Amino acid sequence: EGVTCSLSTARPDEEQGGHADQKTSPARTSHKKHLPPIPKNAVPITKPASVGTPSHLANGTHASYGPFYLEYSLMAEFTLVIKQKLPGIYVQPSYKSALMWFGVIFIRHGLYQDGVFKFTVYIPDNYPDGECPKLVFDTPVFHPLVDPVSGELDVKRAFTKWRRNHNHIWQVLMYARTVFYKINTAEPLNPEAAVLYEKDGQLFKSKVVDGVKLCNSHLFDQPKVDDPFAISFSPWNPAVHDEAKERMFTFKRRPEEHHKGAQVSGLSWVKPGSTQPFSKVDSPQS
Amino acid sequence: MMASVVANGNQDGQSLVLNGVDPETCMIVFKNHWAQVVKILEKHDPLRSSSMHPTLSVINLGVGSGGVHRFGPIPGDEASAVQNYVEHMLFLLMEEESGQGGCMGPILEFVVMENVMERLFVWSLRREFTDEMKLEQLKMYEMLVGQARQPLLHHKPILRPLMMLLSSCSGTAAPAVEAELVLLLNQLCCILAKDPSILELFFHTSEDQGATNFLIFSLLIPYIHREGTVGQQARDALLLIMSLSAENERVARHVVENTYFCPVLATGLSGLYSSLPTKLEVPNEEWHCLHKVDWMRMPSLVQFLNSLEFCNAVIQVAHPSIKDQLVAYIYNGFLVPVLAPALHKLTLEEVMTTTAYLDLFLRSISETSLLQTFLSFILLHQHESVYILDTLVSRINTPFQLGTVSMALFRTLIGFYCEDVMLQLILRYLIPCNHMMLSQRRVVRERDFYSTSAAKMLALTPSCCSPDHSPPPLRQLDSILFSKGGADTPNSSSTADEQKSFSEEDDSSGNSCTIGSEIYLDVSYLHYLYDARLSISSCIRACQVWSALYDAEDPPPEKYQPGVLEEPKLEGRQTQTALKRVPKLLVSNARSGLPRGEPPSIHQLELEWDDSYDACPVQTTETPVEGKPAHLSPSEPPKHIQEMRRTAIMLVKGSYIEENEFQDDVMVYNLVAKKDSSEAEHAEETQSDPAHAPLRNGLTLPTSLVSDNDKNSLKAKAKGQTDCNGNLQNATPVESGEDFLAQYEELICILDSEGRGKRVKGDRELNKPVSPVEEEEEEEMDFMSFTAETPEPEKLQSPFGTVQRLRSGSSNRCYSVPFTGPFISVLFSRLENMLTNPLHVNLLLTGILAQLAAYPQPLLRSFLLNTNLVFQPTVRSLYQVLATVKSQIEELSASRLDFPERITAAQHWLLAREASFTATDKGGSCGSRQQDGGRILKSSPPPKPKAISLDQTEVFATVLFAEFLKELSAITQEHSILSYIPVEE
Repeated sequence: EGVTCSLSTARPDEEQGGHADQKTSPARTSHKKHLPPIPKNAVPITKPASVGTPSHLANGTHASYGPFYLEYSLMAEFTLVIKQKLPGIYVQPSYKSALMWFGVIFIRHGLYQDGVFKFTVYIPDNYPDGECPKLVFDTPVFHPLVDPVSGELDVKRAFTKWRRNHNHIWQVLMYARTVFYKINTAEPLNPEAAVLYEKDGQLFKSKVVDGVKLCNSHLFDQPKVDDPFAISFSPWNPAVHDEAKERMFTFKRRPEEHHKGAQVSGLSWVKPGSTQPFSKVDSPQS
Repeated sequence: MMASVVANGNQDGQSLVLNGVDPETCMIVFKNHWAQVVKILEKHDPLRSSSMHPTLSVINLGVGSGGVHRFGPIPGDEASAVQNYVEHMLFLLMEEESGQGGCMGPILEFVVMENVMERLFVWSLRREFTDEMKLEQLKMYEMLVGQARQPLLHHKPILRPLMMLLSSCSGTAAPAVEAELVLLLNQLCCILAKDPSILELFFHTSEDQGATNFLIFSLLIPYIHREGTVGQQARDALLLIMSLSAENERVARHVVENTYFCPVLATGLSGLYSSLPTKLEVPNEEWHCLHKVDWMRMPSLVQFLNSLEFCNAVIQVAHPSIKDQLVAYIYNGFLVPVLAPALHKLTLEEVMTTTAYLDLFLRSISETSLLQTFLSFILLHQHESVYILDTLVSRINTPFQLGTVSMALFRTLIGFYCEDVMLQLILRYLIPCNHMMLSQRRVVRERDFYSTSAAKMLALTPSCCSPDHSPPPLRQLDSILFSKGGADTPNSSSTADEQKSFSEEDDSSGNSCTIGSEIYLDVSYLHYLYDARLSISSCIRACQVWSALYDAEDPPPEKYQPGVLEEPKLEGRQTQTALKRVPKLLVSNARSGLPRGEPPSIHQLELEWDDSYDACPVQTTETPVEGKPAHLSPSEPPKHIQEMRRTAIMLVKGSYIEENEFQDDVMVYNLVAKKDSSEAEHAEETQSDPAHAPLRNGLTLPTSLVSDNDKNSLKAKAKGQTDCNGNLQNATPVESGEDFLAQYEELICILDSEGRGKRVKGDRELNKPVSPVEEEEEEEMDFMSFTAETPEPEKLQSPFGTVQRLRSGSSNRCYSVPFTGPFISVLFSRLENMLTNPLHVNLLLTGILAQLAAYPQPLLRSFLLNTNLVFQPTVRSLYQVLATVKSQIEELSASRLDFPERITAAQHWLLAREASFTATDKGGSCGSRQQDGGRILKSSPPPKPKAISLDQTEVFATVLFAEFLKELSAITQEHSILSYIPVEE
C-alpha cells in the first residue's frame, strides 16, 4: 500500500504491517515524560486563582498539586500502554491536554482486515475516580458497537464501573482491538450493523469492506483536531522517511549506544546471587 | 661554555647557515674537527692506547702507565678547543638528514664507526666530572635526541655512552642536574612511546653491564613524589612507560619483579599523607567538605593529590600485573597502616580532618579499581575489630563538625551508585523483608499509580507553610497556565452538535476535557520534578550494572533471613589475593621496611641503580606492609567481652554512639535523645571545672581528652565528652565478666532514668519528644531489647546472653528485631531533630535522603517513599519521622504568634542566598563526580541575614521541611513513571 503512518512529532512511526512488536520504542515516551507542559510563549496570567475553573480536588489534599497528580497518573497509564505492546495500536497524548489521546489501530486479519482506524481517547478529568474513558473513532466504523453518528465505541459495556487500580487505559485500547476480531451484537449502538451481521453476513461483510475503503481513502486527510501531537498520515517520502526508519532500526539494535554519552555508570563488585560486597572475583569492570 | 652555546644555538639559526651546504662538505668539516679533537684526546689519554676504540671497561683513572701530563689537569685552552669543535660537530650531526632508504647519513655512520660519543664521554670523565660537566653532557644529549633529523638511539655507540652518562647521574643531588636529567629522561620516554622498537635496545644495553635493567625507568622512580616541574615531568615520563607496559609484557614483568615502583608509589602516599596537617583550620561552622578552593591553598595536600592522581593514572594505563601490585600496596601500605589509624585518632578535630581527607580522596579517584580498593577498605576493613564503615556511620550522630563532615563523606559514597556500598549501608537490612508485614512483600514492587504517596507526603506540609500564607513576592505559587490549551481553551464545552467539525477550535464534539484552563500551581514544584527526573534517570542508568534488582524477590528474602545474611569474610579477599600477587622478593623486603632504610643487600645485583631511592624526598618510615591482617592475640579477652566492655564504656561516656550498638532503632533514638538533652547542661557544668569534665553519672574524664586549643567556647568543652575514641582505648579492663555485666546493667538503669528525667527538664519547648503514645512504645521496646533472648546457639553461656545483641556490628550482624540498619537509624534520628539542627546540617541531611530516595531499587524505594506499605510496629518509616517533625512544627507555630513572619524572613534569606550562590558559582564549579544538586551549601560564608538570625534553627528548619516534602513528593511521582518505563531488551 505504500502508506506511512507518521506522527506529526517528526518521528514517523514505521508500519508496513507485520512488525507489530517493534513499534513501541521508548523514544516514543520521551515527549510525554516531561511534565513541564508550560507552553514557552504562555504569558503568566495574573488573575487571582479563584477566577479559574474550580479545582479538581478528587485526587489530592492540596488544590494546587491536583493537576500534578492527574498528570502523573496519566503518564503512568501511558507507560503502561507502552509496556503492553498492544499489537497494531498506537497512541499519543495530545499536546494540549493529557486527557486527550490520539490513536490509530491497524487491523491485520478478519472481517476488518486492512482497516486503519484513527480514534481519540477522552479521559474524564476526575480520573481515576470518574467514569471510564471514551473512545471515539474519527470516522464512524460500521460496527454493531460503534455509534454510526458520533463514532463512539461502546466501551462502557466492558467497564461498567471504572475501578482505580484495576482498570487501566490499555485495557480500553485492547478492548477496541478485540471488538474487530470478535463481533458482539448484543445491545448494539448500531442496530443496523447488528442485524446485518446476524442475518446477512455477506452484505455485512461488503459494507465493512466499503467502510474500510472509505476510511483508508481519508487516511491522508488533515487531523480532525489541530494539535501538534495529532496523528497524521502522509505518503511515503524517501527523503523524509528513509532516514527516520533507518534511525529507528539502528536504535533498536543497540539500545545502549544511546546512553553512552551520558557517562553515568554505577559500580558493582557483587557476584550475582550473593549479598556480599566484593564477592565478584576479578571483576571485568576493573 | 659549550653547554650554553649548544643550548642556545637554535635550530633555525643553524639551518640557515647550513642550508645549501652540500653533505660532502659537511662531512669533510666534521672529519677535520674530529681529527683535531682526537689529537687532544690522545695527548691526555692515560692509557695511551693504540686502540682507536677504548671502551669503558678498561678505563681506570687511578692506574696509568703514561707520563705525568696524562694525568695532570687539562689545560683550559685545550678543553675549550675540544668544546668548540664538538659544538660544531654536533650541529652537523643534528642537521644531517638520514640517508637513502632510511640508512644512516655519512656523518652518523662516521660517529658510529669512530665511537665518537663514547670517546667524548670518556673525555668528560677524564676531566673533572663535576655537576657542571654532567649538565653539559645531559644538555648535549637532550639536544641531540630532541632535534636530530634521523633516529640516533638505535645505534649502540650512541646509546651506550648515553646510558653511562645517565647512570653516572643517578646519585646526583644538584637541582640543576636533576632537572636536566629528568627532562632528558622524559624526552627519551617520549621517543620510546613513539617508537617502541628501541625498547629492546634499552634493555640490552643494560644487560651488557651485567644486569637486567631498564635504566631510564629506575632513574625516574625517585622523582615520583617530587613537587613542581621535575616531579611532573618524571610522572609524565613514567606514565608513558606505564602505557608501554600494557602492551609489552617484558616491561610489565620488569617493573613488577625487579623494581620498587609500586611500593614506592604506595608508601610515598603514606609519606605525603603524614605531612598533611592533622587538624584543619575550618573557615566556619558550616564547612563540611574540602572543595577545590580549600585544598588549593594547602601545598602538602596538593602534592598528595598529585601523587594520588598519578597512582590513578598508572592504574588506568598500566599492565594488569602492575595495576594489581600497585593496588595491593596502596591497600596494605597506605590505607591499612596509615589511613585506618588516622581515622581513629584521639581528638575530634583530627578525626574530622581525616574524614574530610578521605572524602576528598574518594572524590579525586576516577579509576574503578583504585576506587574499589578504597571502598573495600571502608566496607570490609576492620580496625581493632570494628568495621571502618560502622565507625563512620556512627559518627554521623556526633554533634559539631565531625557529624557533618561524616555526612558529606556519605553523600560522596552514595553518589557512586555502588551496589556494594548500598548493600552494606542499607540493602542488606532490607533484603530479608522482615521490616514489613509478610503480606506486604508484593506491595514492594507496586507502583504508585495515582500519586497517593506523593499526596500524603505533601499533606504533611505545615499549615504555616501553605502557599496561601506566603506574601506575594514569595509566592512560589506563581500563576502558571497549566493547561496546554492556550488562551482560547475555555469554550470547549459549548456546542455538541456537529460531529465532523474540522474547525480550528478544540474538538467541539463535547468530549474534550482539557484540565481546567487557569490553574495556579506551585512553580517550584516543577523544578523539583525536573530535578527528580534527572537524578532518578541517571541513577537507574547507573544501576544497570548491579547484580540484583532488590525487589523482594531478587535476592529472595527467604534465603536471607536474619542471622543468615552472610557475613563478609575477615578482611577483604582483595587483600589476600592481592598480596599473593606481590612477588616474594618484594614482600620479604617490605617486611624490613620499604623502600628506604638500608639498601637491600642480596638483591642489589638484580636491582642495580634502584638504590637511587636515596634521592626520594619522601621520608617514609611508616609501618611496614603487613603480610597478614592482624588477628587478635590469644592473650586478649574473648571478643564478645571486649565488645561489651566497649559498649558499656560508651554508655558511660555520655552516650556518644561510637561503636554502633544499633541493635534496634529505639535504642539509637534513646541514646541520641539522652545525648542531646545532656549536652547543654553538660557544657555548663564543665565551665566551672576546667580540669575535669564530669559526666552525669559522676565519672570524670581526663582533660587530656578535652581539646585544649580551642578558645573557651562551651562547645569546645563539650567536645571532651563526645570524643570517645581515645577513651575506648584507654579504658581500664574489667576483671570479671559477671562483675562487669552487673555494672553494665546498673549503668543502663541509671542512664535510662536520668536520661528521661533530664530530657523533660532540659527540653526547650522545641525539643518535645514525639508524642506520648510513641514514648510509651519506646519504653516497651527498650525493655524488650534488653531481655530478648538471642536465638543463636553458638553464643557463649548465659551471663552474657542477654547482651549479646548489643554486640558491635563488627562481629556479627543478626537482628531478630526488625532493623533497617544503623545508617537509616542515624539519618532518621537526625532528621527527627530537624528543628534543632542548624541549617547546613539539615541541608546535608535532606540532601542525603533525597539521594537515597532517587535509587530505583524497589526495596529501598518502597521503604522510603511508599506510604501505603505496612511496616512492622517497631520499624519507623521516613513518613513517620516526617510526621513527627510536622507535629512539632504545628505545635510551635501555634504557640508563637510571629512564626509566620519569621518564616517569611527565612524564605527571603534563603532565596537571597541561593541567588548569590548561583551568581558566584557560574564559573568555577567543583568538578567532582558527586552532584551538589544545586544545593545551597558551599564552603564560603553566607551573606549575613538581615531580618533573621541563623540561630533560629526551627524557623529555617520549617521552611526547609516544607521544601523537602516537595522534593520527596516529586521524587515519588517521578518514580511512578521512570521506574516503569520498559527498558529495551
